[in-house]
Amino acid sequence: MRRVLVANRGEIAVRIIKACRALGIESVLAVSEIDRDSLPARMADRVVCIGPPRPADSYLKIEAIVCAAIGTGSDAVHPGYGFLAERPELAEACAAHGLAFIGPSAENIRQMGDKLGARKIARDHGIPVVPGSEKVESLGDALAATEEMGFPVLLKAAAGGGGRGMKIVADRSELSGAFETASAEARSAFGNPVLFIERYIPNARHIEVQVIGDHQGNTIHLGERDCSLQRRYQKIIEEAPAPSISNQLREEIRAAGVAIARAVRYENAGTVEFILDQDTGKFYFMEMNTRIQVEHPVTEMVTGIDLVKEQIQVAAHKPLSISQSELRITGHAIECRINAESVLEGFQQFPGRITQWRPPQGPNIRVDSHCYPGYFVPPYYDSLLAKVITLGDDRLEAIERMQFALGTFTISGIDTAIPFLRFLLGDPDYVVGRVNTRWVETMQEKFATAQLGAKS
Amino acid sequence: MGLTQDEILDILRLIEESHFDELHLQNGDLVLTISKHGRASTAQNKPSAVPLPEPAKSSAPVAAALESHTGTSGQVAEPEVTGAIEEGLVPIKAPMLGVFYRSPEPGAPPYVDVGTLVDKNDTVCLLEVMKVFNAVKAGVQGYVEKVCVENGQLVEYGQVLFLIKPVDSAQGRQA
Repeated sequence: MRRVLVANRGEIAVRIIKACRALGIESVLAVSEIDRDSLPARMADRVVCIGPPRPADSYLKIEAIVCAAIGTGSDAVHPGYGFLAERPELAEACAAHGLAFIGPSAENIRQMGDKLGARKIARDHGIPVVPGSEKVESLGDALAATEEMGFPVLLKAAAGGGGRGMKIVADRSELSGAFETASAEARSAFGNPVLFIERYIPNARHIEVQVIGDHQGNTIHLGERDCSLQRRYQKIIEEAPAPSISNQLREEIRAAGVAIARAVRYENAGTVEFILDQDTGKFYFMEMNTRIQVEHPVTEMVTGIDLVKEQIQVAAHKPLSISQSELRITGHAIECRINAESVLEGFQQFPGRITQWRPPQGPNIRVDSHCYPGYFVPPYYDSLLAKVITLGDDRLEAIERMQFALGTFTISGIDTAIPFLRFLLGDPDYVVGRVNTRWVETMQEKFATAQLGAKS
Repeated sequence: MGLTQDEILDILRLIEESHFDELHLQNGDLVLTISKHGRASTAQNKPSAVPLPEPAKSSAPVAAALESHTGTSGQVAEPEVTGAIEEGLVPIKAPMLGVFYRSPEPGAPPYVDVGTLVDKNDTVCLLEVMKVFNAVKAGVQGYVEKVCVENGQLVEYGQVLFLIKPVDSAQGRQA
């Protein structure tokens, strides 16, 4: 592999270009018109403008990406996350044109993209799944399914994840309204309105296992991450390893992740997501994400493995650089996502010109970002500006280091969620690990009250 | 009756945010012509520092922006309302990324060459995106002054393909 086309933007484009450099591979960056002058565009060996700013006209155009890869003599395409990363059509188009797709096979993507099919694979391999329904295509189906299950329940899109098409339903009277909105959301997000229903687990943690498999048949895990701190199903703080679980449970969850990956002969990096019911201590398979994830750095910090490099090597048919028995997990890492959003205005996205940008520095502090002073955050894409990752000998040290890092991060010109992140990190419940997937919501009100108190 | 500078700035903002490419305004003696894409303009004002959603590139960096493939700073200029065009030429830009073909099929004569008089709706080249061929229209009436890309090359979105010396319809008839 000599030249990789990077089909993404923002911090992950920077991340991929760095990994290419480390391997002595040239990078070609596909950009939309508004990203021509972005930081990754300056770093890449070559830049090709593939279309206007709107994602549908550029970053989501499979033909343009493949045409750009062929036209620039690239051998491979790295899709990053989001955009086309989990579209089997891109993996197929790459294969059809002799390009290596730096990710799993189209078949893997398809198997796991069908959320009901993925549940079946898990069940067939003895991995527990959240009690739930099969396809729900009408309100009648929904009523029948909840008859046995009881409430509360969670409506989910059969064709996709990421919170879209997802609705919590507290009781029967809410079902009809929730069914309609979830179904409409699923149709608009995935082009498929089919839903399924799961029993809702109110006191849950989100635990996911990083897996990676090569073409030689090696499949290993790189430990797990806890991503329970979410807002509207979007993760905001992640950590590795997962705190507050017994080592036995940890080993069971990791083994389950590897079992799922092996079941589909998974190639490249992926993440198997589980939900842990803290009231019963039981865990269930949720879904598998067939891409590099935003939060991959926490795993890199505690394992010392460069996941994007591994991805590229695997796509070039090289074996994994380590075996399961060689894996060492040392210390504790935390990641905070710094989004351009105004916390006090309902987390509204806040695009605009960054006037000051001074990221934190220091030992065991890592910042993944594409921003710089004077950078204009365009309104067309997601609002992630940077990821701050800290490593400590233990969890408390990682938290303290994160507080220091966020406290010295200067950004002006646009609003970010840093004040809210610091508020979360400083809360005793977070420090002792008394949280669940709904905890951040409860903290939003507290934060707003605290801010008002501070002003008056 | 004239316009104040503020009024002109307001008009510029309106057109910048609209889908229209050109505005011709006549008010008594005053004639104002504004264009996003490098036609002659009588107003030369930068809009406010507020970044606009659709950066309309001025024609000035045409040559610079398109000759280099590597992203260098300054290519995505801040939105600017265009001034006069260098040498009075109008670029035909690639409406999509693709492979540039000058003729309908290998061996056939090119659609246009230097000196060809093209009409707005004339096809000037093809852009192939994964076996789909898209005809590119001139969009302007005039003489082909320069063919900027070689046959078979990958062109980027927005890359200049041809430079046209425009003739407006009145002059066209006179000629």
